[in-house]
Amino acid sequence: MNAAALDKLRILDLTDERAIYGAKLLGDLGADVVRPEPVQGDPLRGRGPFKKSDHPGRPDVSLYYAFFASSRRHFQIDLERVDGQELFNRLVQACDVIVACQGGFGVDLLDFDELRTVNPELVIVDVTSFGRQGPWKDYAAPDFVAGALAGAVATTGDVDTPPLKAFGDLNFMVSGAYAGIAALSAIRAARTFGGGDQVSVNVHECIASCLEQVLMFYWYAEVMMRPEGKVLPRRGSTHWSDAFTVMNGQDGSIMVTPTPDWDKQLAWLIEEDAHEDLIDPKYLEPENLRLRIERTMELLTGWVSTKEVEPLFFDAQDRHMPYGWVQPLSRIGENPQLQAREWFVDYNLQGEDSKGPGAPYQFSRTPWSVHAGVEDPSGIPADPQTVLADLGWEGSA
Amino acid sequence: MTRPLEGLRIVDFTHVLAGPFATRVLGDMGADVVKVNSESRALTSNVPSHPYYVMWNRNKRALSLNMSEPDAQTLCRSLCEKADIVIDNFSVGVLDRWGVGYEVVSQTNPGVIYIQMSGMGEGGPWSRFVTYAPTIHALSGLTAMTGVPGREDIGLGFSYNDHQAGLHGAFAVLAALESRHHTGLGQRIEVSQFEVGVNFAGPAILDLFANGVGAQACGNLAPYDNWAPHNVYQCAPLDVADVVDQRWIAIVVENDQQWQALKDVMGQPDWAQDSRFDEAAGRYALRDDLDQHLAAWVGEFEDYDLMALCQSAGVPAGVVQNGRDLLESDPQIEASGFARRIEDLHPEIGQTWADSLPITFSERPCEEYNRVRMLGEDNADILHDWLNLDGQETQTLADRGILK
Repeated sequence: MNAAALDKLRILDLTDERAIYGAKLLGDLGADVVRPEPVQGDPLRGRGPFKKSDHPGRPDVSLYYAFFASSRRHFQIDLERVDGQELFNRLVQACDVIVACQGGFGVDLLDFDELRTVNPELVIVDVTSFGRQGPWKDYAAPDFVAGALAGAVATTGDVDTPPLKAFGDLNFMVSGAYAGIAALSAIRAARTFGGGDQVSVNVHECIASCLEQVLMFYWYAEVMMRPEGKVLPRRGSTHWSDAFTVMNGQDGSIMVTPTPDWDKQLAWLIEEDAHEDLIDPKYLEPENLRLRIERTMELLTGWVSTKEVEPLFFDAQDRHMPYGWVQPLSRIGENPQLQAREWFVDYNLQGEDSKGPGAPYQFSRTPWSVHAGVEDPSGIPADPQTVLADLGWEGSA
Repeated sequence: MTRPLEGLRIVDFTHVLAGPFATRVLGDMGADVVKVNSESRALTSNVPSHPYYVMWNRNKRALSLNMSEPDAQTLCRSLCEKADIVIDNFSVGVLDRWGVGYEVVSQTNPGVIYIQMSGMGEGGPWSRFVTYAPTIHALSGLTAMTGVPGREDIGLGFSYNDHQAGLHGAFAVLAALESRHHTGLGQRIEVSQFEVGVNFAGPAILDLFANGVGAQACGNLAPYDNWAPHNVYQCAPLDVADVVDQRWIAIVVENDQQWQALKDVMGQPDWAQDSRFDEAAGRYALRDDLDQHLAAWVGEFEDYDLMALCQSAGVPAGVVQNGRDLLESDPQIEASGFARRIEDLHPEIGQTWADSLPITFSERPCEEYNRVRMLGEDNADILHDWLNLDGQETQTLADRGILK
């Protein structure tokens, strides 16, 4: 068995929701990630959904925590006590990387400059909502607010709904991924050139960098010559290109697009005698591109409404057309592709076997593995000497 | 100053968004990204003058290769033998057919890291399915879960999964580099964009397997936490028909302390004195009532004024900003220089812009933002730097139709 890709890295995880996903990515690839928490327990253990505990006296298991705090070692530290502070300092000095969120557990006690003076090889990833300067630097921004300010909410929803958030904490999964990238980039630089770094990750900018068309429409409105101008309104599932949208079939919904091979889509409509005027040569004139898109999508909407979506989806994919059957999450466990690739993995939820998400990538030589972050908080080591002994980080500073 | 990834050599065969976004991130941090394109593939959004291409392909050098020519494949193999990373999002097997697949190249370049970002991954009944981000959103449950109850036709308003597949691809490459540092060995990484997308429903998938509960769209509610209010509310002016010109604010109360603060901001109105609102469970149960009261109150304020009022009291609130707001009136974006002009004008569309890497290295700043390069614009420099070919040799290749 080969060693895991990151098995030489010792990481101190002082994140909250904004970057906990990044620490998860590092831990699941084998880094030794330690996540200390206050004696009152990590507040993120209070986030749902929950698995009801079958054991009297044991708390329900946070499935949020099981997923996002996976592959960590958990310790309680009483930062009110001198020996707790000493333990915290030893952890800080013994690790290769600190991933910290502004305001996260213990972060206010850290002097980043001093830490890097003591350990010049140390990498510090400093995650803030808006950076450490500017009028919004202290604004409170949970996922929904962060998504609103960064542009994600404005572009989600429909003309007859308010702006909408995405399901779950998708904005913070973006900043989390960037935090993981920041950590490993700085480690690569340290391995190659020597010396650690303090790396800042700005959540607001992370989200804004991942909005596909939003900045493009503003900057290149004149080049694109779109009637909407610099801002595309929210408009349901319709892609900025107008050539992808979710349509309603007889028994469900399906994402339909004639992209990338419009001729293939036209041939299919002709085959079913549903093409109407689409063979008119006027649609091939460059100046009629938008007209062609509009007419094609109009005809497809009517055509799809006569179809059952499951056979339509497979028929499209047989023709190498990227239709997407809108699936409820309740069916994801039965997905034949995920089953064939044995993607779901075992999760032990405080003694009960269950299943959960597998890896977002497959490495040919180094393993990925996950163990759920579900330790019963009452059983987490809290005595500083026990913590140090369990940790095995002594002498590495 | 040396950037974090300087010295890394990447052969980039990717197109559209997911793959180019991965190499954009790596290029921003100093990797030498050689983007391979060709006259025959440079169509629609794969044209260097298309704004979509411009968005994702800065900080890369452009090489044109006519891969239908055997000599182009040989040249490409020489490049891959010099590369640290080879990345593509073709269908499975394309690089093998060109003789530049992992099995071949790793024989002579054992440290090379190959990453393939396909839609569905290798193997399985759907492995040959064609996907774009909206396809993945639909199949993974993201579309059905994002919206309002009873509708399946809303979903995410942008290609979230493409960006995230790119970020996960970049992260995976960096992890493989760390492994290579200790072992000397590269490896092959496979990113299934479908599996990336399903992964984002992590807690909901655990809920499905553990409790049999399939998550559904819940509008602007937090799906699993009893937070209320947790919604958007329209600010003044209210009589705005055009969706783009409407002003909204998101307000979130996650605990009793924030609720008390919000009551203060609202001036302690009579309706808010109802003791049922004092605890989270009560607020959540009465969230529709809360929303009605807040909507009436918020409508009297302008958006940024109300945000400042709420935030100064400790209540999380954020204006629903669109692209214009971000780039014209967001003080954080303005102060940080996140949006920047690229000095070197694009030969066809002139001025271009870059949204900066949202990661700042204090010791190794990443301040270089080079414009998108035209098809084959860097052929001579790349072939010199990577393979030590001189100008005459490159010209000969061009004359033979290898570089087009």
